[in-house]
Amino acid sequence: MSHIVQIQTEVRDVEAIRMATQRLSLPEPTFGEVRLFSERKTGWAVQLPRWRYAVVANVQTGRIDFDNFNGRWGEQRQLDSFLQSYAVEKALLEARRAGHSVQEQALSNGAIKLTIQTGESH
Amino acid sequence: MKTIEVIVLSDGTTRVETHGFVGEECRQASRFLESALGQTMSESLTTEFHQESNFQPIQLHQQE
Repeated sequence: MSHIVQIQTEVRDVEAIRMATQRLSLPEPTFGEVRLFSERKTGWAVQLPRWRYAVVANVQTGRIDFDNFNGRWGEQRQLDSFLQSYAVEKALLEARRAGHSVQEQALSNGAIKLTIQTGESH
Repeated sequence: MKTIEVIVLSDGTTRVETHGFVGEECRQASRFLESALGQTMSESLTTEFHQESNFQPIQLHQQE
């Protein structure tokens, strides 16, 4: 290998948000003002399974706003799953836009691995 | 074969690994993915990165 980079995912692509909700069989995301417990946020609302409030993706900042009262109003693993799906779909979109072929593989530790062939050999 | 591996952990954090590249080309190859996915938290370089092309053609001299 040549170099390794660790990345904190930022949610900035609406198409990838849509693909992630499809991957997880969630309702389509909707744009608008969303009521959380004590405030309102504007962005792309994603309704996660058994969450009291939708999570709100701000594609300008890449942040996700949510209110799950430390797990009482929604399981963290559902949000983690959405973020994982988003990152996978975003990587797939970008790789295909660049003309590369991609293989996807589920790993035993719950991670998802994408292998992107750049079409070059050395 | 030059490949880029994207490993997305169950919490959504992502690791991008390049394979088969030498020197700076690995950074160039994966930059489009790194910037699209989010904020880089850390980077480590491997021995392949520090290799330079040491190829020198062998010159044959024919005796007449």
